[in-house]
Amino acid sequence: MVSRAAAAIRTRPRREREAEVLVWPDLVFIEFISALIFSIALMVLSAMVNAPLLNRADPDTTPNPSKAPWYFLNLQELLLHMEPAWAGVIVPTIALVLLAAIPYWDRDTQGQGVWFGTKFAGRLTVFGFTAATLITSLLIIWDGSLHVVWTENVIRGLGLNSDFTWPGGLDWFRNLRGFDTGIPWDSLGFTIGGFTMFEDWRAIPLGIPGTTTDPWLLNLNFPSFLSQQIIPVATMVGLPVLFVLFCKGLGWIHSRRDIALLIFSAFIGVYLTTTIVGTAFRGQGQDLKPPWDIVVLEE
Amino acid sequence: MANLERAPRKSFNDLIYDLIFKNYVWQSIFRTGYPNTPRNQMLAVATNVFLHLHPTRIHRTHVKITHTYCLGGLSFFMFLGLTVTGVLLMFYYVPSIERAYQDIQELEANVRFGQLLRNMHRWMAHAMIILVLLHMMRVFYTGAYKPPREFNWVVGVVLFILTLLLSFTGYLLPWDQLAFWAITVGTTMVGSAPVLGDESKFLLLGGFSVGPNALIRFYTLHVIGLPLVISIFMAVHFWRVRRDGGLARPL
Ligand code: HEM
Repeated sequence: MVSRAAAAIRTRPRREREAEVLVWPDLVFIEFISALIFSIALMVLSAMVNAPLLNRADPDTTPNPSKAPWYFLNLQELLLHMEPAWAGVIVPTIALVLLAAIPYWDRDTQGQGVWFGTKFAGRLTVFGFTAATLITSLLIIWDGSLHVVWTENVIRGLGLNSDFTWPGGLDWFRNLRGFDTGIPWDSLGFTIGGFTMFEDWRAIPLGIPGTTTDPWLLNLNFPSFLSQQIIPVATMVGLPVLFVLFCKGLGWIHSRRDIALLIFSAFIGVYLTTTIVGTAFRGQGQDLKPPWDIVVLEE
Repeated sequence: MANLERAPRKSFNDLIYDLIFKNYVWQSIFRTGYPNTPRNQMLAVATNVFLHLHPTRIHRTHVKITHTYCLGGLSFFMFLGLTVTGVLLMFYYVPSIERAYQDIQELEANVRFGQLLRNMHRWMAHAMIILVLLHMMRVFYTGAYKPPREFNWVVGVVLFILTLLLSFTGYLLPWDQLAFWAITVGTTMVGSAPVLGDESKFLLLGGFSVGPNALIRFYTLHVIGLPLVISIFMAVHFWRVRRDGGLARPL
């Protein structure tokens, strides 16, 4: 089909005709077939799997865990690791703005219209995706304190110390909140020239005496600010920067397109990992659980 | 038109061809027979209201499945399918908290193919989100967002957001525990915005929590507001694909 149609227009001496094919039949045919395959596949799926319908909505019975639709579970996952304003609103907004801004930043038209157009595109993609997936998983494991459970189990299991527990000195490394609760902030005040600084790290005065400022500005709970905002945000900004520096060091990055490839692939890795963990690995109280141990209780 | 290309002696194939394509009723609908010459094939695409979204000719590399995997087209196909099944669902569904849940139950139990209809709508909605994401990845990895297609990429990002919102607003409608609490969790996230958080949440729900007002708002957005908006953005999206010179290819 292709050749006959193409042969017919080849006689016309216009630009690039020989590289073109007719939309009918060549494209229309492919579109028709793919639409048909999808229709059949969805029909079969719908005949086999029913859409869920639970009990009638009841505001007085909260399911545990309560989850958003799966495509928002990456955000709900973030919610467990940082201040809600960051997880639910600021991070997704910034991510979407940056996504939309890619073409205004990477404007070089070299390598467009072909898959993985640069020399190191393949490696950057694989590295960005895999490294981001791994690191995200490790961070989630760490914030879920699984390393604590595993260390205790291994040391007890090996018979090294049958009632070993995670050392108190390492409480700050139990999880993200450890930086808040595991550090003796109360004893960390110091004095400069007779003034005692930060007697209370949990209520650092920010307002100017004698003025009325917004109440939340008046006192800063530094330990909580550190664990819920500074560390998560620094991680989200710092890791991409490290990724770029690392790949630059390897000599893989030669253009903005390369940086875009690396960061976009890493983004896809994080997006997928958080969605999967949020969907399949969060049980009651949003604790980390293997998928087969997850039951929904109504409370 | 087709008359000029008729073979001098009628073969069996021609007889069949004439029987199907040259009868009074067919020609009243399609105006011509099957387009079997390049000229007529181009005319078929250019003059058909559905096909004219396409150019009449297209670069050879772009009909290779592995260039686009048809992902944009399939996203659009899902939208069409969702519109059809959605309209059918509207026959049976009333968005009030007294009736919504019961209507879905009755649709599943008493309406012929009702369960199938609901399943199709549900799974197509999920499929559309996945397809749109994959389409975005294919556009990214083929570097097809580069000039002059910057703006169409932005239109794409808006389409992605609208797709999520369409799905989210539909999620509440069955008014079961899954729906109610998912929307409660989702809108609580909106409420945590540092500025205008509570206000946006209130606007979305028509109250402080998910209730009758939220149901009617989500319903209206789901069945008319968002579909209208996304249709406009899709029209712009497809138009720009054409205006930007068809799909991207190496310079
Ligand atoms: C409802 C969602 C969407 C629909 C129905 C849609 C549909 C389409 C279609 C049919 C094409 C033609 C080529 C192809 O099939 O790949 C296309 C191209 C394109 N789409 Fe989308 N799209 C959607 C979402 C997006 C998103 C989320 C993005 C990016 C963020 C995007 C960016 C683009 C760009 C830049 C092109 C031009 C590609 C090229 O020149 O090779 N679209 N879209």
